[in-house]
Amino acid sequence: MSSPSDRGVHRARIGVAAWLTVVASATALLVACNNRTDVAGGAQPASTFYIGPQPGPDRTLARAENPYHDDRTVLAEGRRLFNWYNCSGCHGDHAGGGMGPSLRDSSWYYGGDEASIFASITEGRQHGMPAWGTKLPRDQIWKIVTYIKSLRTPYEPDAPR
Amino acid sequence: MRELDGGRWTVLIVLALGAVVAGCSTKGPGADSRDGHRDTTAEARAALEAPHADSVHNALGRAAPGSFPDAIPAGADHGAKPGEWTMPGRDYVNSRFSPLGDINTANVAQLKVATSMATGVLNGMEGQPLVVGTTMYVVTPFPNVLTAIDLTKPGGAAKWSYEPNPDPRSVGIACCDIVNRGAVFADGKIIYSLLDAEVVAVDAATGKAAWRTRVGDINLGETFTAAPLVVGNNVFVGNSGGELGVRGYIAALDLKTGAVKWKAYSTGSDADVKIGPDFHAFYPKDQGKNLGETSWKGDQWKLGGGTTWGWISYDPETKLLFYSTGNPGVWNPDMRPGDNKWSITLFARDPETGNAKWAYQFVAHDAWDYDEIMENILVDMPVNGKTRKLLVHPGRTGFAYTFDRETGELLAANTFQPTNWATAVDLKTGKHLEDPTKRTHAGVVTRDICPSSTGAKDEQPSAFSPRTGLVYIPAHNVCMDYEGVEANYIAGTPYLGASVKMYPGPGGYRGELVAWDPIKAQKLCGVKEDLPLWSGVLATAGDVVFYGTMDGWFKAIDARSCAELWKTKVASGIVGNPIAYSVDGKEYIAVYAGIGGWMGAVAFPDISTDDPYTALGVAGAVPDLKQKTNRGGVLYVFTL
Repeated sequence: MSSPSDRGVHRARIGVAAWLTVVASATALLVACNNRTDVAGGAQPASTFYIGPQPGPDRTLARAENPYHDDRTVLAEGRRLFNWYNCSGCHGDHAGGGMGPSLRDSSWYYGGDEASIFASITEGRQHGMPAWGTKLPRDQIWKIVTYIKSLRTPYEPDAPR
Repeated sequence: MRELDGGRWTVLIVLALGAVVAGCSTKGPGADSRDGHRDTTAEARAALEAPHADSVHNALGRAAPGSFPDAIPAGADHGAKPGEWTMPGRDYVNSRFSPLGDINTANVAQLKVATSMATGVLNGMEGQPLVVGTTMYVVTPFPNVLTAIDLTKPGGAAKWSYEPNPDPRSVGIACCDIVNRGAVFADGKIIYSLLDAEVVAVDAATGKAAWRTRVGDINLGETFTAAPLVVGNNVFVGNSGGELGVRGYIAALDLKTGAVKWKAYSTGSDADVKIGPDFHAFYPKDQGKNLGETSWKGDQWKLGGGTTWGWISYDPETKLLFYSTGNPGVWNPDMRPGDNKWSITLFARDPETGNAKWAYQFVAHDAWDYDEIMENILVDMPVNGKTRKLLVHPGRTGFAYTFDRETGELLAANTFQPTNWATAVDLKTGKHLEDPTKRTHAGVVTRDICPSSTGAKDEQPSAFSPRTGLVYIPAHNVCMDYEGVEANYIAGTPYLGASVKMYPGPGGYRGELVAWDPIKAQKLCGVKEDLPLWSGVLATAGDVVFYGTMDGWFKAIDARSCAELWKTKVASGIVGNPIAYSVDGKEYIAVYAGIGGWMGAVAFPDISTDDPYTALGVAGAVPDLKQKTNRGGVLYVFTL
């Protein structure tokens, strides 16, 4: 154990170093907290499509929206595209399932909101869902999403009998 | 009926038949026309038309079926011991007959569970385990894990597992659940297919892969689900993907190295199909040059299907390989005019070279998806007092066929379930006498077609008993509406082109275990079931026949009378094929429980039954399946 006078000298030196560290860290933290989209290096985030929760602290990142949300005039076209691109071949004539899962029910592996469905169609999924975003324009994919959201509602076009 | 010479007579007779059939709605078995079928006595016809719900007694009311001890060709089991099961159908001829007889009609009622093991997979457990020595080998649906089980340990103990990790993208392109129909044992290796169109050979003692070969291409929509067969130094495998425009073939791989030696295609030029100077089709309708191209419009044969996802047989006497092919690709017949050869065709090939010896196309220009990939059971039995080398093929079409397997001549064919797309087969021409009103077309709904696309039976294999001379067929009674629709070909996606809705057939039952006399081409007896039968069948020397139901009843019936002798409930519906084996002299019966497959997938939570067109129409046939069973693969073993 050191003498009281020795401890006083050590404390002063440690104190300056400690304060400098604290000030430097606080500055860095302040910078990080105040910049809302800051990732390492100040780059833009990779995607506005997401399924899992946004990590914090700020969760205001806008999500892609369906331009045809609630637009029933595109349902017939969405239905036509659903058949044209062979979606019905995997997911069933009226999307009840088959090679691929049912899109009529409320159970969704990758999210059942419009942005998530759009992402699944666009990106494809690991068990064989093709990545249609490599071939189809966004507009057509949104129309198919709109059709899918109409299933089991009174507005479903060509509903099963 | 057999003097059909001259186009005009043919047309007149077909039209007359069409008028007769159109005038009757589909009813029970009695509605089938028996015109043109040989050897059908009035007495047998009356017995077949009798409206009994359960035919448990000999339909002819007299002597039990005879015994045919030499029916299974010598060498068919390739030296397997009586207690082993080393090939998918037990032997080369796909008899699924076990020579074990300790479990018999007198004691089978005492059968109890010896052990059960969860497979860890929730998809359809089609196929069957193998037993080599005292080790059992189980292959699961995707991810196709192979497990070796030591049968000498209490309850059976897993020794090792081989996990191949096939490409998960193959999951989304398998039309009818991610099933596997089993492995084969040869040269100290367990050989089986992976869903992503690879074939692997695993050392049966150590569990290490000896070779692994990529044979097909999932980017074209190709998957592998069938069980291989080994003859000599060749491993034979077939491919799947007829719903994605995949061109079918059978491939031969080198047993030692796994290298692909040749592929015999189901469509294309004679060179591709391996039709050469040795080829002699029995019927004029199957004779001609390059029919695999010319019977199509333009290049459509390239998307022509004819996939080969069923069972392969081998005749050790004539040294011929037998298998038959699937649907001609797109389901809309108007998109592919022509006979569409060689879809829905039975091939006899030289196993060394692959060269075709003969072929018989069951259905020209298919309009119903009647894949004829069924088991071809090779038996030697007397016909009119003379022993003939036969081939029995219970068909998707509703007809069970008996061929001379040396020439391809059709000797008998009759319906074994309600059928109305055709009324008979003209044995002189080999052609079915079709009802033109049941042909499907683009843009029009054709209704009340029997059988449905799933057929009077699907891949689930029948069994034969040389002690009775009967073939035991797991049958369906399901009908459909079918509309051809326009389809786009986008590689790796379905190339379907039909809107199909299925529903139960007439008579108040959807399945039946049929005991079929292949010489007389008629049913002796049967057991009607609520649900279509999607399990395979086992026949044993104990004169017991085993099969399972989609709601999980595993049953034993008397091979001579069809009387039910025993049943037990297992954890999930049965779509696998029972086997018999012995260890230390004690006989066991093993079967997979685990609902799935094309129709069984209706039980899965991600299939909705509010649309009867779901899953290519099967949701309409078994909408009640979710209430009757649930998923879960379990291996069951029973013993006395």
